[in-house]
Amino acid sequence: MKKTPIQILQGTLDLMILRTLATMGPQHAYGIASRLQQVSGDALNLNQGTIYPALVRIEQHGWTRGSWGKTENNREAKYYGITKAGLLALDEETERWRQMAGVVEKLLAKEQ
Amino acid sequence: MAHGRRFIARLRNLLTNERVEQELAREVASHLALLADDFEREGMAREEAQLAARRAYGGVEQAKQAHRDERSVLWIEQTVQDLRYGLRTLRMSPGFTITAVFTLALGIGACTAIFSLVNAVLIRSLPYGDPGRLVYLYTPLPQFHLPPEVFSPTYADFYDLKKDCHSFEDMTMFGQSVFSLAWQGTAERVSTARVDGDFFQTFQATPELGRTISADDNQLGHDRVAVISHALWQSMFGSASDILRRSLVLDGKSYQIVGVMPPGLEYPHNTDLAYGESQYKTTQVWVPLALTPKQMADRDNANASVVARLKLGVSLAQAQAEMAATMARLDKLHDPQMRGWGALIESFVDSTVGHVRRLLWLLLGAVAIVLLIACGNAANLLLARAAGRMRELGVRVALGAGRSRIIRQLITESLLIGLTGGAIGVAFAYLFLRILPLFNPGNIPRLNEASLDTHVLLFTVGVSLLTSLLTGILPALAVSRINLTDFLATTSSRSVAGAHTRVQGALIVAESALVVVLLASAGLFIRSYINVESVDTGFSQSTVTVNIGLDPRYGHPQAVAFFRNFFARLQALPGVEAVGAVSNLPLSNSDDLRMFAVEGYPNQKTQLAEARWVTPNYFSAMRIPLIAGRLFAADEKPGAHTILINQSFAKKYFAGRNAIGGRVTRQDDHAQWNTVVGVIGDVRNNSLEEPAEPQIYEPDMEFAGGNIAILSSLPASSLAATIRAVLHSLDASLAAGDVRTMGDLESAATAQRRFQTSLLTVFAAIALFLALVGLYGLMAYSVSRRSREVGIRMALGAQRSDVLALILGKAALLLGLGLASGLIASWFATRAIQAFLFGVDRHDPITILSVCALLEVSGLIAAIIPARRAASIDPMQALRSE
Repeated sequence: MKKTPIQILQGTLDLMILRTLATMGPQHAYGIASRLQQVSGDALNLNQGTIYPALVRIEQHGWTRGSWGKTENNREAKYYGITKAGLLALDEETERWRQMAGVVEKLLAKEQ
Repeated sequence: MAHGRRFIARLRNLLTNERVEQELAREVASHLALLADDFEREGMAREEAQLAARRAYGGVEQAKQAHRDERSVLWIEQTVQDLRYGLRTLRMSPGFTITAVFTLALGIGACTAIFSLVNAVLIRSLPYGDPGRLVYLYTPLPQFHLPPEVFSPTYADFYDLKKDCHSFEDMTMFGQSVFSLAWQGTAERVSTARVDGDFFQTFQATPELGRTISADDNQLGHDRVAVISHALWQSMFGSASDILRRSLVLDGKSYQIVGVMPPGLEYPHNTDLAYGESQYKTTQVWVPLALTPKQMADRDNANASVVARLKLGVSLAQAQAEMAATMARLDKLHDPQMRGWGALIESFVDSTVGHVRRLLWLLLGAVAIVLLIACGNAANLLLARAAGRMRELGVRVALGAGRSRIIRQLITESLLIGLTGGAIGVAFAYLFLRILPLFNPGNIPRLNEASLDTHVLLFTVGVSLLTSLLTGILPALAVSRINLTDFLATTSSRSVAGAHTRVQGALIVAESALVVVLLASAGLFIRSYINVESVDTGFSQSTVTVNIGLDPRYGHPQAVAFFRNFFARLQALPGVEAVGAVSNLPLSNSDDLRMFAVEGYPNQKTQLAEARWVTPNYFSAMRIPLIAGRLFAADEKPGAHTILINQSFAKKYFAGRNAIGGRVTRQDDHAQWNTVVGVIGDVRNNSLEEPAEPQIYEPDMEFAGGNIAILSSLPASSLAATIRAVLHSLDASLAAGDVRTMGDLESAATAQRRFQTSLLTVFAAIALFLALVGLYGLMAYSVSRRSREVGIRMALGAQRSDVLALILGKAALLLGLGLASGLIASWFATRAIQAFLFGVDRHDPITILSVCALLEVSGLIAAIIPARRAASIDPMQALRSE
């Protein structure tokens, strides 16, 4: 079966980014995008530029804080680190996602 | 649609923060570089890697745009959120909101009102082309020690200046006359300008209808043409469309109407010329000046004003230098006895509004103080509320709201308060402008044109925004200092509130200090006004005056007979005590100044006296007292050369000797000596604020027109009607002009003082009221904060009177500090009002003591309500409440 890239559900990108940052520590946009692609095994249809609005949104909520730093190759990059508020939000969002996914899963199981 | 798109684009530009944009570009570049690095590591060539990076990234511009959209959506979303939240919290505490809004509305309203005045008088351009280039020309003769504006160029000098000076684009000469305008069987006095052919061009005034007065109209024999004002066209001719085929009858002569000027062009106004016609506010008719060749060559007389327009790029100083050089040359053509003619150019705009500029800036300063006090109050209210909301705000910070977000929320709230205050303030200003004409002192040009135009409204919006920031900044700063861990540890807002109370106390001290400055200034103004009002004018207030001039149908003997008859008719009226006449009424801004010499006195060449021609009954009609000697007899012989002098004259020139029988002559003809037969009381002819000058009265036994004074026991209005009826019965085509009481003239002379004193007093009262509201608010707030402390004190045995003293003591301390700093500030600030004071020192102890007493007493009254509330606290309840 040919894999068709899936569209990202509304709001889930924020959750994925927060999770990534919580796991890996501060990351730049490229790092986050690469990580998402790596985890999804190219199942996500994600241009790297697509994550910028999500990054702005998250930062404006106060869930991340950005600062400029150097990569190991000595390139400058903006690193996003998760804040306490971000961790709280991640917990909430994760819980909400689980509930949602559970509901959808149950529904699909019944229909079959 | 295109409009909508442009609007959105603009909005976006507004939201696009340059710094954020730069950072985004930097971030995208870094992202691409990192991608490319990885591709290169996988073995791609550099250029290929860069292309691949772009592909993997997707559209760079789309990404940036998505970033922007997200940014601005959030911005708008947050603003809407803030607004909604702000409105909700403001609605939840209506007492706070109403007080804050009303306070700011008072401050902003006062500022808007005064600014609309400043705008109308000082900022809005005069309707004469580019008024900045208009100038008045004078040729002062310093040996007379008179104000230079007395000396307009003589006719011959004018034509030479016009020919020889190249600094000016246009130059015009014009005089003023008051004519009787006959209309449908009655007559009306109208102020008329007699103008040369360049008048309208100099003012760049184009007619609404027809044409203006040309050089040809100024040729003798062609000069029976007139231009009328828009107002006259409307009132007298009902805006008739055939107006250019009609004519006017002025002083019995017919003038063809050739043009109508647009509304607003009524130059010269009574406030325009320092020594012009002052009885009529505006000019309604312009006729040709039409000088004879003999007049045009006259180098000794001047009876006209000169206005010129500077050429583009020529400065006032350059023109002044050129004119001075020309006058130095022309001076040699003058009579050797009268030399030393100088040159003086004054800016037209400065002459028009210069005398009120200081006053208006002063008033604007006063309302700025009122606004500052209002800001202080609103800031205090916000601080008190912020303290009460510490928990709420603390929790929001704990939940991840950024500090900037909280500050933004608070600023949004103060903006809501400030802008609402501004809107209500505009309504206040509108009301103020409706009642302003009642205060009009008559000498502030274009005062009645003050309105809430775009300028003023922009100013108000600016002031409202500034006010919002000023009031919002303190609470916002206080909140941004919240220490989260402290806050969460104590779960109480007491520590923060303590710091707030100190800031609030400081605000009250500052407010009281500002109030002291305003109160002291208002007090000094009031004292000055009382002093001016109590000046003895030297004449009776109830005397009714009227101005009657005959037209050329009357020859001199007929005119004299007419007035003898008229006076006899008036005198015969029941209730009329005396009827007299004078060449110039006191306080009417008109005077004859005469050079003279006194026998047996070391005369100066330039000594001057105010000279008047009077009929014998003038003194009784005006109730001017006789001090020594006798008045003029009813049949005083003109050939007897008798004169009367006033006390000041006698004191100065007949010091130590008897003035009666003394002899005085006009300096220019020592041949004719006049004998002093009596000394009469001083009269304030020019101003109530300057001592009476030496005055000379000569008998006028052949009065043929001018000012008539009538003393009677009748009410002024019924007497005026009677005078008109008598005049009408003698000759229906004559007009009785300027029917006024001497009290009216005196009132006009003190009008500006009344204007400035009442305005400043009102502002000081508003300021005091605001400061008291602020003090009351702070005391009430601190009582509610300290109820627990008070409870403990009382539980430990403090009496109610101790509690009362505690709270009042605090209020007294704040007031005392405010008073002290206010008095120090006033000591220096009153220098700004020095020039407005009359008969009172700017450090006047009575005023200062009254201000202190007023502030302390009213302050303690404001504090007594919260203090009593504190004293009535039930200790058990207070202790249990927390």
